[in-house]
This record gives sequence, structure tokens and C-alpha cells, in this order.
Amino acid sequence: MTVFKCYMKILRQNIGLVIMYLAIFFSVAIVMQFAAGKSEDSLFETASIDLGVVNEDGGTLAQGLVDYLSGIHHVVLMDNDPEQLQENLFYRNVEYILQIPADFYETCMVNGESLKVTKVPGSYSSFYVDQQISSYLNTIQTYLAAGFSQEKAIQAVKEETHEPVTKLTFDSGTSDTSPYTYYFRYIPYLFLGALCYTMGYILMAFKKGDIQKRMEASAISVRRQSVEGLLATGMIGVVLWLIGFLGVTFMYGSRFWQSGLCVYYILNTFTMLIVALSLSYLIGMFITNSNLLSGVANLVSLAMCFLCGVFVPMDVMDKSVLKFAQFLPVYWYEQVNEILSRHHTLSPEFLGQVLIGIGIQLLFAAAFISLILVVSRYRKEG
Amino acid sequence: MSENIVQIENLVKRYGDLVALDHLNLKIAEGEIFGLLGPNGSGKTTAINCMLSLLKYDKGAIRIFGEDMRPDNYKVKQQIGIVLQNVAVFDELTVYENIDYFCGLYIPDKKKRKALVEEAITFAGLDDYRKMHPKKLSGGLLRRLNIACGIAHKPRLIIMDEPTVAVDPQSRNKILEGIKKLNEQGSTIIYTSHYMEEVEQICTRIAIMDHGHVIASGTREELKKMIKTGETITIEAIPLTEKNLEEIQTLPHVFDLHYEDQVLTVRCTGARHNLIQLLNYLQSQDITFGQVSSELPTLNDVFLEITGKQLRD
Repeated sequence: MTVFKCYMKILRQNIGLVIMYLAIFFSVAIVMQFAAGKSEDSLFETASIDLGVVNEDGGTLAQGLVDYLSGIHHVVLMDNDPEQLQENLFYRNVEYILQIPADFYETCMVNGESLKVTKVPGSYSSFYVDQQISSYLNTIQTYLAAGFSQEKAIQAVKEETHEPVTKLTFDSGTSDTSPYTYYFRYIPYLFLGALCYTMGYILMAFKKGDIQKRMEASAISVRRQSVEGLLATGMIGVVLWLIGFLGVTFMYGSRFWQSGLCVYYILNTFTMLIVALSLSYLIGMFITNSNLLSGVANLVSLAMCFLCGVFVPMDVMDKSVLKFAQFLPVYWYEQVNEILSRHHTLSPEFLGQVLIGIGIQLLFAAAFISLILVVSRYRKEG
Repeated sequence: MSENIVQIENLVKRYGDLVALDHLNLKIAEGEIFGLLGPNGSGKTTAINCMLSLLKYDKGAIRIFGEDMRPDNYKVKQQIGIVLQNVAVFDELTVYENIDYFCGLYIPDKKKRKALVEEAITFAGLDDYRKMHPKKLSGGLLRRLNIACGIAHKPRLIIMDEPTVAVDPQSRNKILEGIKKLNEQGSTIIYTSHYMEEVEQICTRIAIMDHGHVIASGTREELKKMIKTGETITIEAIPLTEKNLEEIQTLPHVFDLHYEDQVLTVRCTGARHNLIQLLNYLQSQDITFGQVSSELPTLNDVFLEITGKQLRD
């Protein structure tokens, strides 16, 4: 296994690069996971403004309304002094002033008159407060009509407002995405970046000077040398892949392994690994110096990842870009990843889409391997 | 006479319209240091590449150790070591690792290989550099490492293609001494070069190549006997007249002369006393002269006489 060991020794010389890519990958995955989770799901909260209230009633219902608004906004109780109220609004000490009249129940609830409000013109948050007040009063009125006492109606409305918010998206999925979605989204960058560099450096070393001639003239057949080289290449890839799954285990533990779709995640990433290995090998065949390698490795890994929805979600990408991205393997990886992230089990329809995505990636890998063979043969005969 | 371990018959190699090897014939006996001498582009490297099955040839036959040389004849390849023109070592591996790697392409047994690598390191004088990477070695040391990588598995036949290109004189001498030592240890060596001094210094038999075929071959002495020049005399003289030059031309054994920038070069056949005769003539004509030198024929003279051009043209 002389050639195999040599691959490993050359890799050892460039191990720093692999570690750097792993560090970038894990940092990005963790940060993005955290940021995305925070903004999209768990921390939904309604907008809060400074709201002035003049409560001339002081009754149960009026106090209930004030308490309700205090739960959402920063409520400031004010005296009914028009000059002072105008001044506070002018200086934006408050954005909205609600005046509850002395006979609130009679005036507003029974006779249906509107509450007097003063607000910053054109402010969308004021409109929002209007909606909240209107909604609150309507609900109270419903409860009262149903025979609830004022206290119980207020209590019932209070309990309703604590229902959690469920976000719906336009693509028929729910916000209930797997927590490891983001982790798997960035894996192509790790594979492409790290493998393009390592394979490039290794193949470049074997191309230097007359090394190839010396090896061809040796007592080990070229076929065996190639097999050992491929074994080493495969080994490097598999170790990287395993590190990826160690990361999943470390970050998400049994949540990932007990999910019904972990097999598809494994299959999808392994296919992506084959694509990355064959592509990096193909690139390595044309690389002649480390500057060129650095440029090409960055271009291939970053460009493919940006175009195919690794760094930017596909939902927000331009359709023409996505059309072009279909000619790149990472797009199909991300397609499969998207499907897996939105489901807990796969219906036959989605399973079909997953398998098509994986199949197309394999076709890309086959195309790269064919190119490798053609170039090798051409060079040998040339 | 020892057995011929390399036999090349009517080898033809074409690159399109260019004939790189034109019916090349060679026989190399076991135990020789066989020099393949010729100007750049004469076909030496092509011949070596064909011998090693690195190049396909159009016609002819190559037999090494009595067997047809084919790309898959690993039994033959096992017994060949190569030192190529361009240094072929990994920058990422240390001196020891490089020798171990290339030796490993012939010797799978780790224990046996370790002993051989150690021997090669000592042979090449690289003991102090074993843990260094090639980028930190001087040009001479790098060439020595290149040689150590090619000979560590103790091959029966070593093919060296211009191993001293761009090497300083001190390192070159060490390399040449090493080659002689390898030969004494039993290896047959094929040595290609366009440095005639090196070939003269170490080779027991020489073939001179030009335009893809051998134009002369034999031992140094045999080659020199093939030509008319036995001695080349060079004299720095005060201006000579046409009459003087005509008279010198008529002196016994003189067959060619050249006079330029007050330097007279006279080529004589192999007879003795040529220099004395010439000096006597100059004295008799009261011609003052400065530096005088007399040189026996070189391989360059052989090449010059056979082809009409200098070896380094």
C-alpha cells in the first residue's frame, strides 16, 4: 500500500486546511442554526409601542382593557389635559393615546360608540393598536352576550391571548423544520472546499517533475497504483463524511438518529460526497500550482454553494438563478435536503422526489468520473 | 565477454514527421557503465523512455535480461532502477520518506526496505538530512536524493538520464564517484549525457548518438582510434604570414590547421614529436610565441570528425 500511504502523508502535510474548513463549517452551521431558529420560530412577539391611556372610567371593564394593552405595549396613564396630551404625542413620548370615557360600558359596549383615540398620522403600529382594541372589545362583547360576568369575560379573553403563534409559510410546509436542516444545508461547502484543496494538493504532488514516469517504470502496476490512489481518495472522503455525522450526533444527538428520515440524510450526504470527490479529483487533474488551486477551489465551492441555495435559502432566490443552478449537483442535494427538512415521514410522492434528487447527483458523479477517465486516457496516449 | 543484458534492435520511434529514433541498435553487457553520448535532441532520452516502456515505439525490439520489455513485464522492471533528468521527489515528504516511498515501489517487505533505505542514505551522503524536506536541500543534495530514490532497491540495471544537469562541480564529482561505486557493487549502468568529460571519466563503453541512431560505439580508445586526430596543438603566436601557415601545413603528420586571433590550432595524426617539430619550425623562423598546449583527442573531436559539428551544437 505504498501509494495509499503516500496520499496520507501528503494529506498530513495539508491537514491544517482540512481543519480550517471543518472549523468554518461548524462555526457557520452553529451560528446560522442559532440565528435562523431565533428569527423564524421560537421568538415571535408582537410589536410594542409607547401608549398613553386616559382612564376616566376606572371600572372593571376599562381596567381590563388597560391591563390587556399593558400586556402588549408600554402603557402610560395620563390626565385628561388636551395640551399635555398633544405635547406628548408631538414629542413622540407616546405614539397613541386612548381615552376611556367615564361611562365606558354604557357608551361603548351598549351604545356601540367608538373610543376616542389620538395617534401619529400614517403610523402602521397605530393601525395595529386599533385592531387590537377592536378585537378585544368584540371578544368581550361576545362573552358578555354569552352570559359571562365582566370579570369572567376579562379572564377568558386574557387566557385566549396566551395561545402560541403558529407561522405558516407559502410553500405548504410548516415552521416545524428539523433543527439539523441548517447543518445539512452547509455540508456541500465542507465537502467541496476541503476535498478540492486536499485532492488538488495530493494530485499536484504526484504530477511534479518526473514522479509519474518513475512510478510508471516501477515494479507496481499502474492499475494497482490507481486502485491504491482511489482507495486513499475514498478513505479521505469517508473520514470527512464521518466527521460530519459525528458533528450531527454531537449537536443534535438522538433527535437526529431517531428521526425516521436519517437514512435519507445519510444517503443524500453520501451521494454529495461522491460528487465532491469526483469533482475535486477532476479539478486536481488540471491544477499545476497552489495559487491556481486556491482560486479554483474557492470559485467552485463558493460559487456552487451560493448559486444552489447553501448560503441563501432557495425561497428567496431569483427563479432564473435557480434554473441555472439545476445544472449543478449541489442544487439537487439542496432540493432533497429541503424536502427532508419539511417532513417527518415521506409520502410516496416525496420519496420519489428524494430519490430523483439523489439519482441526478449520481449522474453528475458519473459524468465527472467519465471525464476523469477520458482525460487520463488522453494524457496516457498523448 | 559478459552476457548482453540490454539488446535493442532496429528501434524506430516517430513523432509525426519527426523521426526521433532511426533504426537504433544497441547491445549492453552486464557489468558495464555504458555511456550514451549525443547532443540535445539526438534521441537519448527517447531511447531511455522506450527501454523503460514509458513510450510506445513504432518498430524494432527491446530485450532486457533476455526478455521482451513490455509495460507489464514487472519481473524485468523489478530489476531496473531509474534516475531521470528532472528531479522526481515529493516536496511533502522528508528525505527518508522519499527514498522509502520509491523503494517501496519495488520492495514491499518493510523490514528489508528499511535496511535498503538506510544503505541508500549512507551511499548518497544524506545521513544529516534524512528528516529534511527536499525544498531545504541544495541543488547538489537534491540530485543525490534523486539518485538515492532510484537505486535504493539495489537494481541490477540502473538507467541514468543526465543525472548531473545543473549540478556544481563538487557535487558532480561525488555523483560520478557514486556511480562508479554502484558499478563496482555489481550494477550495470546506462548513463546518458551531453557532457563528454563525464562520459569519458566513468564509462567503460560509449555509443555516440546523432539523429536518432548510433554513429559510433566502442571504448574510449576504440572511438579515438576511429578518427584521424591524434593530437591537437594550440599555440599563441605573433602574427603568422600566409607563407608560414603553408609551411606548417606541410610539416609531417599535420593534416589541419586553423589560425584566428593570433592563436594557431594544429591537428596532427597520432605520431609522436609533433609539438617539437612545430616549435622547431617557429624558432627557425624567429617567430615569438606564448602559451603552448597539446591535447589528446576528446570525444568531441570524435563527434566533430564524424558529423562535422560540435557535440554541444
